[in-house]
Amino acid sequence: MHVPPWFWFGLVTLVSWGIVGLLQKLSTNYLSAEWALVWLAVGFFILEPWLYPGRVLFSYSAHALGWALLSGFFNALGAWALLAALKSGGKASIVAPFTALYPLVVVFLAPLVLHESITILQGVGIVCALIAVVLLSTETAPS
Amino acid sequence: MDRRPAYATAGPRRRCSLKLPEALKAKWFWYSILCVLCWGAWVLGSKLGSNEIPAASMQFIFAFGFIPVALLVLVLKPVRFEKSAKGIAYSLGNGILAGIGGLTLFAAYRSGGNTSVITAATALYPLITVVLPVLILRERLNWLQVVGLGFAVAAIIIFSL
Repeated sequence: MHVPPWFWFGLVTLVSWGIVGLLQKLSTNYLSAEWALVWLAVGFFILEPWLYPGRVLFSYSAHALGWALLSGFFNALGAWALLAALKSGGKASIVAPFTALYPLVVVFLAPLVLHESITILQGVGIVCALIAVVLLSTETAPS
Repeated sequence: MDRRPAYATAGPRRRCSLKLPEALKAKWFWYSILCVLCWGAWVLGSKLGSNEIPAASMQFIFAFGFIPVALLVLVLKPVRFEKSAKGIAYSLGNGILAGIGGLTLFAAYRSGGNTSVITAATALYPLITVVLPVLILRERLNWLQVVGLGFAVAAIIIFSL
């Protein structure tokens, strides 16, 4: 069986972020969500010395640097909007599954922006993933 | 143990309705839409950037995008500095793990895989968040989550083909 190269990278992302989901819950037992978000940003910077690419950084094109910076900005703004939704009366059991549908935006925009298309099998996988993510984001029954 | 997502614990909880006309008037609905659109933009920006620069450099620059939002959060609602060592340690750990996850996500985008597929596959991370407490803390899943697990496994198998 040929596993696509992105799959293993994606698997590491899935596991890392899955543990983040658990640690976020633990961190907000001790800190306000605002400070949890701020310290999370600080955590990013702990990795920076290992990620610093050296002087080659200044040879990247302005728009490549812009995309990377915008990517971080929109990720953080999305996290803030999620926080704001919950603080303005949104119930977690509705807001969490709703916001987990962000891949839909990508599915609709990727053909226009990135000129990518998907196969029928990939489409079935995406539908399964979206259903899974919505169902998994529902509240757990008290044990 | 309450298993709602992290930010759910942050603020006052009021009832909200799923009725669409009411939802359209609610602030939380529009904040949720903003969140979905921002995360869609984050993915597209990540893919476009990863096409041109290596994953480590992407993650290095990505972190700087967090600064204006972190400052905005503290300016909009000034909260007293909280010095819980445990809370800070968990949050720093979150940042490090989220950074590692981001790094491998950029690597996945750079490897040339389909963006929609990679995004849908990595968005399955609640699978781990839900399963870990079951394995470690012996928590129980509700039946919707059990069905969700089935769909997640099916999706992962399809994506690995």
